[in-house]
Amino acid sequence: MTRHLLPRSPAVTPAELAEQALTRARHPVARLVSLAEDGRSGASAIYDEAMAVLEADAERRNHTARVIGVTGSPGSGKSSLLSRVANAMVAADPDLTVAVVAVDPSSPSSGGALLGDRTRMVVDTAQNRIYFRSQASATALGGLAPTTFQVCRALSLIFKCVIVETVGVGQSEADVRHLADRVFLVVAPLSGDEIQYLKAGIIEVPDAFVVNKSDEPAATRTYHQLRGSLWLARPSDAHDIPIYRTSAKTGRGIDELARDFLTIVTAENATPVRERAPHFFTAWVRDEWGRVGARHLAEQLGGARAFLATQNGFASARRSFDASIRAALHG
Amino acid sequence: MQQSTLDEAVVGKPEEKAPQPHQIVGADGKATRDKPWIIRTYAGHSSAKASNELYRSNLSRGQTGLSIAFDLATQCGYDSDDSIARPEVGKVGVPINSLDDFHVLFDQIPIEEMNTSMTINGTAMWLLSLYVALARERGVDLKKLAGTTQNDLIKEYLARGTYIFPPDASLRIIAEMYEFCLEEIPNWNASNICSYHLQEAGATPVQELSFALANAIGLLDLLKKRGKFTTRQFEKAVGRISFFVNAGMRFVEEMCKMRAFAELWTEITRERYGVTDERYTRFRYGVQVNSLGLTEVQPENNAWRILIEALGVTLSRDARCRALQLPAWNEALSLPRPWDQQWSLRLQQIFAYETDLLEYPDLFTGSAVIESKVNALKTQAKEEIDRILGMGGVVGAIENGYMKSALVRSMSERVSRINNGEQVVVGLNKWTDGIPSPLVGGDDGGLFILDDSATSDTLDNLEKVRRNRDPERVKAAIAALKDAAHSGDSMMEPSIECALARVTTGEWAHALRQVFGEYRPSTGVDGQRLGLTGNRVDALRARIDALVDTLGHRPRIVVGKPGLDGHSNGAEVIAVSARHVGFDVIYSGIRLSAEEIVRSAVEEGADLIGASVLSGSHVELAAQIMGGLKAEGADQAIKVVVGGIIPIPDIAKLQALGVMKVFTPSDYDLLDIMESVVGLLEEQP
Ligand code: B12
Ligand SMILES: Nc1nc2c(ncn2[C@@H]2O[C@H](COP(=O)(O)OP(=O)(O)OP(=O)(O)O)[C@@H](O)[C@H]2O)c(=O)[nH]1
Ligand SMILES: [Mg+2]
Repeated sequence: MTRHLLPRSPAVTPAELAEQALTRARHPVARLVSLAEDGRSGASAIYDEAMAVLEADAERRNHTARVIGVTGSPGSGKSSLLSRVANAMVAADPDLTVAVVAVDPSSPSSGGALLGDRTRMVVDTAQNRIYFRSQASATALGGLAPTTFQVCRALSLIFKCVIVETVGVGQSEADVRHLADRVFLVVAPLSGDEIQYLKAGIIEVPDAFVVNKSDEPAATRTYHQLRGSLWLARPSDAHDIPIYRTSAKTGRGIDELARDFLTIVTAENATPVRERAPHFFTAWVRDEWGRVGARHLAEQLGGARAFLATQNGFASARRSFDASIRAALHG
Repeated sequence: MQQSTLDEAVVGKPEEKAPQPHQIVGADGKATRDKPWIIRTYAGHSSAKASNELYRSNLSRGQTGLSIAFDLATQCGYDSDDSIARPEVGKVGVPINSLDDFHVLFDQIPIEEMNTSMTINGTAMWLLSLYVALARERGVDLKKLAGTTQNDLIKEYLARGTYIFPPDASLRIIAEMYEFCLEEIPNWNASNICSYHLQEAGATPVQELSFALANAIGLLDLLKKRGKFTTRQFEKAVGRISFFVNAGMRFVEEMCKMRAFAELWTEITRERYGVTDERYTRFRYGVQVNSLGLTEVQPENNAWRILIEALGVTLSRDARCRALQLPAWNEALSLPRPWDQQWSLRLQQIFAYETDLLEYPDLFTGSAVIESKVNALKTQAKEEIDRILGMGGVVGAIENGYMKSALVRSMSERVSRINNGEQVVVGLNKWTDGIPSPLVGGDDGGLFILDDSATSDTLDNLEKVRRNRDPERVKAAIAALKDAAHSGDSMMEPSIECALARVTTGEWAHALRQVFGEYRPSTGVDGQRLGLTGNRVDALRARIDALVDTLGHRPRIVVGKPGLDGHSNGAEVIAVSARHVGFDVIYSGIRLSAEEIVRSAVEEGADLIGASVLSGSHVELAAQIMGGLKAEGADQAIKVVVGGIIPIPDIAKLQALGVMKVFTPSDYDLLDIMESVVGLLEEQP
């Protein structure tokens, strides 16, 4: 029954791919993201080349995207909420374009993941102002996939707003804070135990909280408990930390949250995602080469920021680092 | 005539003797014989006109009731010319767009004499309104109407898939129908609590019992809370609750399940609702026997299976069904042909009229074995009911995904057992060599071939209705419907006015979609695994790890259910299997347009779309997917395979469209399927 196989994709140059992706046509954007995820050296060279074109274009247009991180415990309603918020955002601002990157956990035994976040995403197929991409966490802890940074970086050159949904994490480690301009923590109505758990760490991280499922009666209590906990855990800024009350079921509070997201998008002085590279480069080095690698980066190469400045992109920096440390170890 | 001869045989000779314990005592104190259960066949296809002819010919042969199958567009609330509906029009049932179609469907059929059973759920209120409107236009007294609208949305979310609105809105609609029917159409069953479909989606006997009973509790609690009924009326409403149940191959356990059902229901009606009138505490149920276990291979074996399955719901008098519907030997091949239906009908007639089954009182009363089994089922079912009630009842357990996950887990366990040989299915995983079946040797290959030329009739009539109606009346009727929906008033009368005004099915549903929104229930596949391990699984995982290197990413598959088809088992099992062997999997549930599936696959950088279609519209839907991929410029990047009920002659058509592989029910070995799919990705140009 098998027909002869077709070649995988039409051949394009990296520059052509970048041009096509800038139109937000879905397939080219998806190919670019796949390149960002692709660890093989051939692919990462193409990725860097395409990125160079995109970076230049962004500079010309004076385009800087904002990255918003959304984290919170499993099942708190992050994806359902994002579906509503993303749609509300593009409805409110006719020029806005949004990319959502959602990370799901991989199975430790088979390596495969069920990418369930997408299930919650309802978008009008006719428009391509919203792009949604799932990632599998693979072996990474901390809520992101190993390549989330590069993917967001690519998307940030095409879309005005990039929203990252992390794996449902409860622990204090939330890598997304190194990637996003603002981090929102979504909680569902909580039990007392969960509040304690929250206080033990993650409460330090977010710039804002969202009590979702506010259609459930327990939500009001959670809101007040959270307020109270903030006074204790973050006395210096508790005043300024917003707590949104939403329901992805009834739509309550969605417009307000979308409005806040829009304010972030239009705020002055954004940090381009590229500036966040040193953290993720260091994380990559530690993953691949452990403590030896981290020392090599810091001592021999002057640290991630200095090293990256000498390189033509993130992917090629990885390749030169590999070469450099190999030479140091064997040489 | 047959009947009276048999009666004589029983009541027969020894006139004077008092009836013995092995005899049934009639009202006159004499030994008697039970009347058989109601024998049903489920039918409808193509168009209102074609179905009307079919019903009239069945009625002229002595059938007394109608059991109507609607097409998926009608069931899901779309007009026949809606783009998502087009491929489905008339495929698995009759399309109904407006009251004019109902006039055609019931032409020359005296509805005041009929018992009309409609398998309709998401749009049940609409179809009942059409029936009422038909009666009003014909001048028929509503008190004379009798029948059932299936109208169980809980099992739609869990297994059958023709839901439209969120759970709260759906339950409100059901409640309003009970409130309308109780006095206005006293012989109408506003709904049927269905566990049939749950077993077809993998439910164990305990799950069937507990989910169905929790469902009934949810409904009655709501009716009580709404407070529209007096105590007496509420008792009557309890008495109107009837069930639609399944019976599978493990017929002893199934019989015990039926006894457990009856005992539990009586307990619930008495204890939870304080019903004292004994008539209203009886467990009334109809049955369709299990089809999930009927095979595509050696299809003649299914005839025996159907017979055995019928035993569980007939053998014991205390828990005997009131109505029975049997599938046909070619269930896994296509819709049944008239002869296939007749063959199944004959089975029931032989069973009811040639055997002595109906002469005896309950055969199992006093059996310690049966009693123990029944008690075990009851205990487990009660625990499960309590768990569901603890989640806020069935609505809570739908919304948090609990019940759906439980079913997908049961289904995954079932297919794993069949795959590793623990559960024998003769002809499928054991004794697979056999002489080719002459039943599939005819010109039609044993398949029902649908004449879809009738679709244009349906579309023309729809056009005509839209042209000829009074647009002002339509507008007002729809506005009144929405007002009622918003305000919480009953939507029944406004729906009837919509019917009379020639509002269409799609318009009625759309108006309420605007008020209530649409619902997508949880898919239940998250966190599931197969019970399969060993060398073949390890080898597959290794091959996928190797693919990570050749593709540059872990292979990704989008498992898609395009169109209105609600058969989710196959897609769920494939999604779970694919993740089990190491794919990254995207499965977003049933009822997505081909366009949405293509969009997912393209945006996600998938390598493969695996579409599952069992509703007969595979060729149209595959063409839409291939066309969509081309339009996105992704036709060379993403391969497409298709699975489901695909008749052999259609395989070539799918291949001509560019579909790489086709799978059917005989491909039950999940690792074979995965090896084949992985092989497809390994082949490089
Ligand atoms: C179970 C079942 C149901 C259940 C579905 C439960 C559920 N959630 O899935 C219920 C009771 C709800 C149901 C309802 C209906 N059903 Co039904 N149902 C069946 C039945 C008995 C079995 C299907 C099944 O689940 N098999 C088990 C799974 C695991 O197997 P599978 O789907 O074939 O998948 C395997 C392969 O095909 C392959 N595969 C399938 N998809 C894919 C995809 C990929 C990517 C790959 C790689 C492989 C692959 O691999 C799988 C693993 O082995 C079939 C008949 C039969 N015996 O096949 C009728 C059948 C499919 N139903 C039928 C009909 C008509 C209906 C209704 C439309 C009736 C009506 N008019 O209302 C309704 C409505 C449903 C709807 N909303 O669409 C017809 C379809 C006729 C046609 N195509 O012409 C059939 C064929 C019965 C018949 N002969 O009439 N049904
Ligand atoms: N009642 C209620 N349920 C909600 C709400 N938001 C989400 N849900 C439900 O909560 C469940 C989880 O929702 P998701 O959006 O998948 O949650 P998530 O945080 O993205 O989950 P993970 O990505 O798996 O961690 C689903 O059953 C949703 O329908 C809400 O506001 N109210
Ligand atoms: Mg999510």
